[in-house]
Amino acid sequence: MQKEEKQLEHTLESLIQRVQDIKNSIANLLVKLENEYNILQWPSVLDNFALLSGQLNTLGKLLRNEKVPPLRNSILLPIALSGDRDPELEKVTERRVIAFNADVVPHYLRTKPEPEVEERLQPVLNRASSLTPEAAQKQINAMNKMTSNIVDIIKSHQETMEKEANQKSSLSQTSSQADTNTLLSAVLTGKGFKSSGMRRTDMAQQQSNMQAQQQAAQQKQQGNAHGKVQSSIKTNIKQGSSTHPYQRN
Amino acid sequence: MDPSMVQQTFKAAPLTTEFFLQGSVMENSLETLVNRLKGLCDNADYQQESFQDHEMVFHIKNTSVPTPLVFRVRHSLVQTECWSLRYLGHAEVGDKNRPTLVRSYIDCPTSENVAQFIGELGFRMDHEFVVKGFYFHKGRMKITVSKFYKMNQPGNTTNDTIETVCPSYLVELSVVTSSGQEAVGDDMKNFAEQLKPLVTLEKTDHRKIQLAQT
Repeated sequence: MQKEEKQLEHTLESLIQRVQDIKNSIANLLVKLENEYNILQWPSVLDNFALLSGQLNTLGKLLRNEKVPPLRNSILLPIALSGDRDPELEKVTERRVIAFNADVVPHYLRTKPEPEVEERLQPVLNRASSLTPEAAQKQINAMNKMTSNIVDIIKSHQETMEKEANQKSSLSQTSSQADTNTLLSAVLTGKGFKSSGMRRTDMAQQQSNMQAQQQAAQQKQQGNAHGKVQSSIKTNIKQGSSTHPYQRN
Repeated sequence: MDPSMVQQTFKAAPLTTEFFLQGSVMENSLETLVNRLKGLCDNADYQQESFQDHEMVFHIKNTSVPTPLVFRVRHSLVQTECWSLRYLGHAEVGDKNRPTLVRSYIDCPTSENVAQFIGELGFRMDHEFVVKGFYFHKGRMKITVSKFYKMNQPGNTTNDTIETVCPSYLVELSVVTSSGQEAVGDDMKNFAEQLKPLVTLEKTDHRKIQLAQT
């Protein structure tokens, strides 16, 4: 028994701590909204919301924890009501509740939803209870079918969007280095402009050039023969190269 | 060509250095590029200026130098009386700090019999092509966006006998000025930055392209 009480106390403490955290975060956000509304950046508001959602998650996790005793089974009893100011209560509630009187107690210790909410909830509950299990199953199936259809639609949209995005990224290539090189070599050397006929005349010119070079080499050789002794190996190379006038470019 | 214009050109004779950057743009992005250039360049409110030229490249061989001397004769296919003779030097890449390529550049307006004239000097036509495109200018910078066409019949520049060499357009940014005006390179670099990533204007080493060619 004592163990359970201890556990309850411990749980309550951590609950209070978490709720306090959430309260502080909300207060911070409110202060920001009130005082910095003209310079407030949307990302920082989102950060605040993210913080709140995280804190609510931790609270939920705490409540689902196995070690937490079922709080539903605990009862809170108002022992005494009084119309006088209670300084202790005032301090705890940050001056929100000044006295523990008949006005506030029904609100704070309420276990049912507000009457208006209850009113709106009632017809829904009535309808739900009037349904036969078969009909309910039917409706559930219809609902599942619809949702899976919607999921399919969303997925196909996602695919087409991704495709488009891919196409866009491939379109984003606006220039190509290979084309630049092709164009430059065309402008600089005439590659691609020359027809095959022209190339032949070019070859013929090259050939005549070769012959001229050959003659020059021979003359040089003769000239050298009068002077220094020419290395025979070098001459051979020259002759060897000159026997192939149709060198490819 | 009007003699007074020729005279004017020679008065400005010291402008023989071209600073330039080159790149290309694919056909599907041409419109985007033209619109951007319209916005960036002078006279944004006018229609962009287009050109259609026929260029003949003449070589003369010299036995002492392996590479031939190249002269380019260009004339407009729209304003048929506009002829020019152009010499382009070898592009210098320079060191990394230099933002652009540099080459010597001599361009001279001529009469329409220039091809015959240099032919008689001993030049031989190596190849010819048609080039069409747009040009823009911003300050002293000139930007050309041009497409090159191969001529299937020698001397015939009509549309049905020419075919494209490459679907992309060549984009050139250039400034012709006197030598030693390196500061202009920085302006060009800044301008080129504004065309990224649509077009990457770079210093492309021409020697590498010519080497890949042989």
